[in-house]
Amino acid sequence: MPFCQVVVGPPGSGKSTYCFGMYQLLSAIGRSSIIVNLDPANDFIKYPCAIDIRKVLDVEMIQKDYDLGPNGALIYAMEAIEYHVEWLLKELKKHRDSYVIFDCPGQVELFTNHNSLQKIIKTLEKELDYRPVSVQLVDAYCCTNPSAYVSALLVCLKGMLQLDMPHVNILSKADLLCTYGTLPMKLDFFTEVQDLSYLAPLLDRDKRLQRYSDLNKAICELVEDFNLVSFEVVAVENKASMLRVLRKIDQAGGYAYGSTEIGGDAVWVNAVRQGGDPLQGISPQERWIDKKEEYDKYEWELEQKSTMDEDENEG
Amino acid sequence: MTDKEKKPCAIIVVGMAGSGKTTFMQQLNAHLHSKNKPPYILNLDPAVRNLPYEANIDIRDTINYKEVMKQYNLGPNGGIMTSLNLFVTKFDQVLKILEKRAPTVDHILIDTPGQIEIFQWSASGSIICDTLASSWPTCIAYVVDTPRATSTSTWMSSMLYACSMLYKAKLPLIIVYNKCDVQDSEFAKKWMTDFEEFQQAVTKDEGMSSEGATSGYMGSLVNSMSLMLEEFYRHLDFVSCSSVTGEGMDDFLEAVKAKVKEYEEEYVPEMERMKEIQRQTKERQKEAQLSKLMKDMHVSKDKEDVGLTVSDAEDEYNGELVDPDEDDGLTAEDREDMIKQYRVALGISDDISDEKLLEMLTERMKQ
Repeated sequence: MPFCQVVVGPPGSGKSTYCFGMYQLLSAIGRSSIIVNLDPANDFIKYPCAIDIRKVLDVEMIQKDYDLGPNGALIYAMEAIEYHVEWLLKELKKHRDSYVIFDCPGQVELFTNHNSLQKIIKTLEKELDYRPVSVQLVDAYCCTNPSAYVSALLVCLKGMLQLDMPHVNILSKADLLCTYGTLPMKLDFFTEVQDLSYLAPLLDRDKRLQRYSDLNKAICELVEDFNLVSFEVVAVENKASMLRVLRKIDQAGGYAYGSTEIGGDAVWVNAVRQGGDPLQGISPQERWIDKKEEYDKYEWELEQKSTMDEDENEG
Repeated sequence: MTDKEKKPCAIIVVGMAGSGKTTFMQQLNAHLHSKNKPPYILNLDPAVRNLPYEANIDIRDTINYKEVMKQYNLGPNGGIMTSLNLFVTKFDQVLKILEKRAPTVDHILIDTPGQIEIFQWSASGSIICDTLASSWPTCIAYVVDTPRATSTSTWMSSMLYACSMLYKAKLPLIIVYNKCDVQDSEFAKKWMTDFEEFQQAVTKDEGMSSEGATSGYMGSLVNSMSLMLEEFYRHLDFVSCSSVTGEGMDDFLEAVKAKVKEYEEEYVPEMERMKEIQRQTKERQKEAQLSKLMKDMHVSKDKEDVGLTVSDAEDEYNGELVDPDEDDGLTAEDREDMIKQYRVALGISDDISDEKLLEMLTERMKQ
């Protein structure tokens, strides 16, 4: 029973960087994994790509032949993938035992007007027995502004609605948060998405949204009632945060350790299996804003110590 | 109000791929020309191949999309984002041109890239919306592909995205149901005004779903969302149009008028408030710099007087004396450079001596 992550999010939210970082982390803990690029219009790819849709679909050619803009060409390309999904199935069978990371296009049409992507994933579930988890990335910058945060909440709800699979929302680029100035609320408030009634007065403070006061309350009530949306905080270069997210994703998808797990980085393997986390219980506000430098140093020292321990064991 | 100069309305046209934004622009342009009110048109899509109308300002005239992709090693998406960012660095020039043209036109139409995320998530989109809104009444026309929106989940997602856009841009919003010659948009209006009608449609869609993979859980979420969005619809203007037949263009222009009124009632006061806050912030910064300058001048003055008898007049002139041994770590050269910078910043002529300058600043601080 193979497992996979479907990484979605708007352009600039760090999807490809996340894919590469996750791939490196999975390699470090000994989980065999591959990256599949489903974005025919992906920018310059920096990660090793086991399956690349651009080998069979050229967006430039599609634009020329059918007189489409880049967006229309992308929609056409996704429909082509859906129509020729057999190709994708055949390619994936070659990596039957690997954990798969899908890098998806950022176009929002794929989550609203179109269901090609959803159909592709459903076909994978049916034909190859895949267990997908969608991972939605949002730039953490949206926490600096209550209305931008509400905007992101709605986008995440929409993603959950359309993709219809286990879902994890991530605030990416958390390491940059301390450079944005003071947040209207502590970061914990934004990650746990609870008691949003505190947010409504902040929205009302802006006169341009005041007339939507009832709508503000309705949105907050909806999100609270479903109690579904929550965010993880991630900086791709930070191992601990990536590990925490991976554990969350594994819980969402029902992953259980199988034959793909081998040796690898002893400390991190132990951390995953024992559920141990050196920073467990530390609030995101402390970790990424109030005492970022202290914790960065602490984690660095911890890593150095684990490396020395390994050397001693080998010696 | 009668004294106010008549201002054109800026209309930013956004929408999903395939919803017919550019065709809508074309039809609106033709319609306004037929009424002898030619609009001023901006094209902000660097990747478009053929424009069916003539743009007064075109991003492609200044930025070569292909070259940007090549130079920065970007794909189509990154290329558009970067092109728009580059264009925004010159947006002040666009504003100047618009200011010159403003008295002669009634509408400014802005066509945006098909990548709706550009305006949703990037800084350049925010800059464009905010700078336009600070100069002229501005509204957003969100174009929906009506035939495709007949599915309840697709329609719900479109409405949710429109709501998201409203929160992000904070500008008045008009929803345009396009292609109503293909599919009448009456169903959408019913869904917005009658909750029960939408419920029945959801139930019907669930029954028709051949895949059966959709869980009742999602249906429950759609229901809750429709209740939430009911609040959204109450404040919303929507019109149905056809870019092919030209139907509904007058309705759209009427909706634009209503939005201009809304803009002037609610957005202008907020804009003024924010400007006032900004002015006060600058004032405080200026005072802080002035205090710093005073401190430096005191140190400089005292050093010159070390060893000399302090007269009564100088006592009164200097106020409280600073300890001569105290040093803020600046060398004489650094201090001179700083004083020169302050002169430039405050617009004071070099002809005035340091003592005169200090005297002027002292008087200024007392005021």
